[in-house]
Amino acid sequence: MITFKNVTKEYPPKTHALAGVSFRINAGEFVSITGQSGSGKSTVAKMIFAEERPTSGQILIGDWDISKIGRADIPILRRQIGVVFQDFKLLPKKTAFENVAFALHVAGESGKRIREVVPHVLKIVGLAEKGHRYPRQLSGGEQQRVSIARALVHRPKIIVADEPTGNLDAITAREIMELFTRINDFGTTVLLVTHDRDIVNGLHKRVITLRDGKVSSDAEKGKYLLT
Amino acid sequence: MRTFFRIIRFAMQSMLRNFWLSFVTVSVFVLTLITVNAVIILNVLANASVKSVEGRVQVTVYFTSDASVDTVKSTQSYLLGLSQVKDVSYVTAEDALIAFKETHKSDPVILGALDEVDGNPLGQALKIRAYNAADFPFILEALETPEYAPFIKDKNYNNYESALKVLGNFSEKIRIGFLVLALFFGFIAMLIVFNTIRVAIYVHREEIGVMKLVGANDWFIRGPFLLESIFYAFIATGIMAGIIATTLRFANPYIVAFFQGVDVDLVAYYSTNALPMFGAQFGILAFLGLATTAFAMRRYLRV
Ligand SMILES: Nc1ncnc2c1ncn2[C@@H]1O[C@H](COP(=O)(O)OP(=O)(O)OP(=O)(O)O)[C@@H](O)[C@H]1O
Ligand SMILES: [Mg+2]
Repeated sequence: MITFKNVTKEYPPKTHALAGVSFRINAGEFVSITGQSGSGKSTVAKMIFAEERPTSGQILIGDWDISKIGRADIPILRRQIGVVFQDFKLLPKKTAFENVAFALHVAGESGKRIREVVPHVLKIVGLAEKGHRYPRQLSGGEQQRVSIARALVHRPKIIVADEPTGNLDAITAREIMELFTRINDFGTTVLLVTHDRDIVNGLHKRVITLRDGKVSSDAEKGKYLLT
Repeated sequence: MRTFFRIIRFAMQSMLRNFWLSFVTVSVFVLTLITVNAVIILNVLANASVKSVEGRVQVTVYFTSDASVDTVKSTQSYLLGLSQVKDVSYVTAEDALIAFKETHKSDPVILGALDEVDGNPLGQALKIRAYNAADFPFILEALETPEYAPFIKDKNYNNYESALKVLGNFSEKIRIGFLVLALFFGFIAMLIVFNTIRVAIYVHREEIGVMKLVGANDWFIRGPFLLESIFYAFIATGIMAGIIATTLRFANPYIVAFFQGVDVDLVAYYSTNALPMFGAQFGILAFLGLATTAFAMRRYLRV
């Protein structure tokens, strides 16, 4: 589903964020990427939805080589990948419902379809009753659920989440992780970037650890390796 | 199509959210248009005045008293044969005298002098009008032939020529002045549009970021800003048309009265030319706005 082949990334003038990263994630997997701050985790995530391009190497999504993706193709890629961030990235002047609907608006979906799909995904994330609320009227965990709903609304095959629990307390974080696990159970590939030891250890899933821009370990049913 | 309506809505929203910026932008557009229309109106008025003054210019050719009626009549038909000549009217010696007395009726010295002389000191005359005042030198030159010259006592311009020149110069200068002003305002307008779009991009940066993340294409992101500048042009042109319509409605009687006898109907002029004229003004504004917006987006909107 996601293949990195010897990917390097250099931010000018001379930060080598990634130095030859290779891995392969199969459809339906749940993979955590961990590593110390600055080890290149976010860079890996950004490359998957083409916010950054590799300096060298190859990235395949399915069998689509996105290493040199054209500008016009980026929206097509992004409608197939759901992204979730630490800071939620919700629009404060839109309700939860509108925030989710926005992703469909942008893709030119019909109002009818929007009215069908949005309540459905809000229900999946457990916010069926709170669609009319504005982000400021929601707790952090609820806001993150809205952003997950927005990521799901295109029915993506892949969800990429960069520190989705970074702003949440431990209990809320665990709830969000349960949500991701459930989404993964439906068959969606989940790529989770995190440096939260408890979360990684609680998942019992594959863990890829980065160190200085390289894969330092890649283990099935892995553990958080750093101290 | 659906996407198109969403783009329109987004553009409207952006304009309303930055109401004062939109207001300033439209105002400067309107200022630009006001100067442009001032040039247009000035042109219309100046052309009408020049035409009307030109139409009044006439040259009177006085014949000696020994010239026969036939000589004068043949001069008249000779002049009428010239393509530059509009018409030539014949004035008998008696009529010339009556007219002379009429113009000088408040001048007892001249009238007294006239009484001293026996008989009619004035001869016959021809009054010549030309299609174009500039052709008079040629027409008068044409009379310098041995056939007619000996009978011609005097040729007299009523002195509109210098007035025409003054009028021409004056309207030319004002026109250039307003054109410079229009260019100046146009330039300011572009700067302001640039800034407005820059601020609009800034205000929407969050939204734009999210739009990109969820897979909006370029056109969906850029469209609203381009549309916004077209809206500004449209609104400004509409306001300008309103200003012109109301001002002319109230001012037209005064303008007509002021230019007595000159055929200046600005209302008619604007109503017959409204579509192409305001169309062109809208077109130019929209073009300027789009170009500036495209430029602002290149700088501030990385898609
Ligand atoms: N846009 C950028 N320009 C220049 N350097 C960058 C840029 N983004 C990241 N870097 C550098 O690349 C390296 C990897 O950054 P990255 O964001 O991938 O780290 P990370 O593992 O996500 O760290 P954290 O856990 O703190 O989020 C860092 O040294 C960072 O300073
Ligand atoms: Mg990071």
